[in-house]
Amino acid sequence: MDVELFFQILILLVGFYMAWNIGANDVSNAMGTSVGSGALTLKKAVCVAAVLEFCGAFFVGSSVSETMQKGLIDTSLFLADPIVLIIGMSAALLGTGAWLQLASYFGWPVSTTHAIVGAILGFGVVVGGVEAIQWEEITSIGLSWVLSPVLSAIFSYFLFSFMQRTILYAMNPVEATKKLYPYFVFLVFFVFSLSLLFNGLTNVISLSFPLVFLLALLVGVSMALLSYWLIQKMQTSSHSIPPSASSPQSIISLDKAIKHLQRVHSGAGEATRTEVAMLLSKLRSMSSSLKQEAHFPQKSSEYKTVEQLFVYLQILSACFVAFAHGANDVANAIGPVAAVLDVIKNGAISEVSVVPPWLLAFGGVGIVIGLATWGWRVIETIGRKITELTPTRGFCAEFGAATTILLASKMGLPISTTHCLVGAVLGVGLAKGMRALNLNMLKEIVLSWIITIPASALMSIGIFYVIKMLFLQFFTGV
Amino acid sequence: MLTIARLFGKSPFAPLQTHMKRVTHCIEKLTGIFDILFKADLEKIDKLSKELSELEHEADITKNDIRNHLPKSLFLPIDRSHFLEILSVQDSLADQAEEIAVLLSFKPLEPLTELQSGLEDLYKKSLDTFWLAKKIIEEIDELLESSFGGIEAEKVKNMVEQTAYLEHETKKKQRALMKKLLSQNHTFSPSSFHLWARIIEEVGSIAELSEKLANRIRMVLELK
Repeated sequence: MDVELFFQILILLVGFYMAWNIGANDVSNAMGTSVGSGALTLKKAVCVAAVLEFCGAFFVGSSVSETMQKGLIDTSLFLADPIVLIIGMSAALLGTGAWLQLASYFGWPVSTTHAIVGAILGFGVVVGGVEAIQWEEITSIGLSWVLSPVLSAIFSYFLFSFMQRTILYAMNPVEATKKLYPYFVFLVFFVFSLSLLFNGLTNVISLSFPLVFLLALLVGVSMALLSYWLIQKMQTSSHSIPPSASSPQSIISLDKAIKHLQRVHSGAGEATRTEVAMLLSKLRSMSSSLKQEAHFPQKSSEYKTVEQLFVYLQILSACFVAFAHGANDVANAIGPVAAVLDVIKNGAISEVSVVPPWLLAFGGVGIVIGLATWGWRVIETIGRKITELTPTRGFCAEFGAATTILLASKMGLPISTTHCLVGAVLGVGLAKGMRALNLNMLKEIVLSWIITIPASALMSIGIFYVIKMLFLQFFTGV
Repeated sequence: MLTIARLFGKSPFAPLQTHMKRVTHCIEKLTGIFDILFKADLEKIDKLSKELSELEHEADITKNDIRNHLPKSLFLPIDRSHFLEILSVQDSLADQAEEIAVLLSFKPLEPLTELQSGLEDLYKKSLDTFWLAKKIIEEIDELLESSFGGIEAEKVKNMVEQTAYLEHETKKKQRALMKKLLSQNHTFSPSSFHLWARIIEEVGSIAELSEKLANRIRMVLELK
């Protein structure tokens, strides 16, 4: 039997399994909220997620994949013995798969990204010694694991605080939403197209930065204009509170008038003073009588209308997350595969190896199949569980997380999308946007950081020795 | 993975409203007692008062349930201690209803035409304050939606102000009734006088506690 072909098939199978796993488990993070709020049906959500995950993986997935392939360990150490790298990467993928199965059985919040990085490090240390590890790269990755949830939290905190001040605290939330909607649309499309075009479409075309910036600006503005036109057309029941004399709004206005008159009163001359005093007493009695007879409508539907409007933005931001997720997580599956295939193809480790586009597409397809066969179930479950993430909150959290993930993807840093989203939700919570958050989760996540790396490293080391025992004799026989 | 789903804790705000419902049941039962106060015999009142005690116990169970499911690791949009205080004041309304019912079941309240209508009036006014405070608790959903700010907060603030006004009116009525009672103390036996005085005071307390509850909500509002 052809050994090389055997390893090619093996690594592709294992890589495909990893991609399947990612599609099955993690895509739900992006789409769960939209299904939960009823913005998208399950079928539509799965279709949209499939397209965007694939696009993210195919167009923006290469930088992180290259990090996985060559950034973690010094591949030049394996020049003499490339077969060890093949076994090692296969062992890393298998070890990660095994650890993830174990973790999901116990329900630990572990991340695929952390597991695969730990696994590659594990076999790297065993085979090449401590000096085989690219410590600088590892330090920046480790730092990004801590910083990325924090950054997501900061993004979503400020976005939600801004939304609070401009929309939720506004006297007329629906009108304020209509006014600000195009800006939000612009923001999403601008960031989205900027990340897609800048170094993104290298498989297809490459553009200079100013041109990319201009194009992104153009896309953002045109989408914002489109949304402006649509939202003006939209029929909303903005006058759900009948503007009666005793509404809280008019009482506030009256109070303000009194305040201003008082200022006039203290600064005016004798003649006007008496007149103002008369006005003041009249206004005061009016205000107090209004306050007494103010009837309070059972419930205002202003905020409901706002949420309805934000449903579309939430869908948009969910797509954004799906795209970013595909971009970052496809590397977990195909980074090691790319390394192995490269060795097999060239017979040795090449100095500069790029991830071939077909492999990115392969990873993308794996994710989509995972989503189609198992992931939709998880989306359904998540959707039912996180109905608390209303469209306004969901939009802020998802936008914050997606921006962070894309930023990291651009820098070639493999980070955990789940943890970014957790950070983003906490950010909204800190801005008083959530009803109740379970902070125990944070402890568990930090614990999973500490445990996952040695655990998956040990697994990959174990599997590495098993494969080596089974095959090395075979290899020397050849 | 279900990590995201597990991030969301069990919100205590819906249970807070459930607790308010239980408190309302107590108050409604008390109204039932007041309706038959001067018509039925002591046995009937005693029976109703026992039923009210049962309802108060139910409210207590809900209250303890909320407290037990409010771990330190739960992050709320309002301060934990503020939340617990709102719950505690709300529960004291159920206790107050029970207290009054028990007082009424000790011995028949001596009927006195001038005071009778005055007491009924006082009770009604006191309950008006309570109904408004209850309405404020029902607004919590909207407050959560708007992060305790904006037009919704202004609305609730006005409701709180009106609660204070109603409480003031109740207190005026209470003092007037007390004055009336004192002016004709010679017609009472000491025990009857004591009972009347206590009941007038305790009924007024419902308004006092309702205003306190409304003000506790006022504390968590984000006003400009």
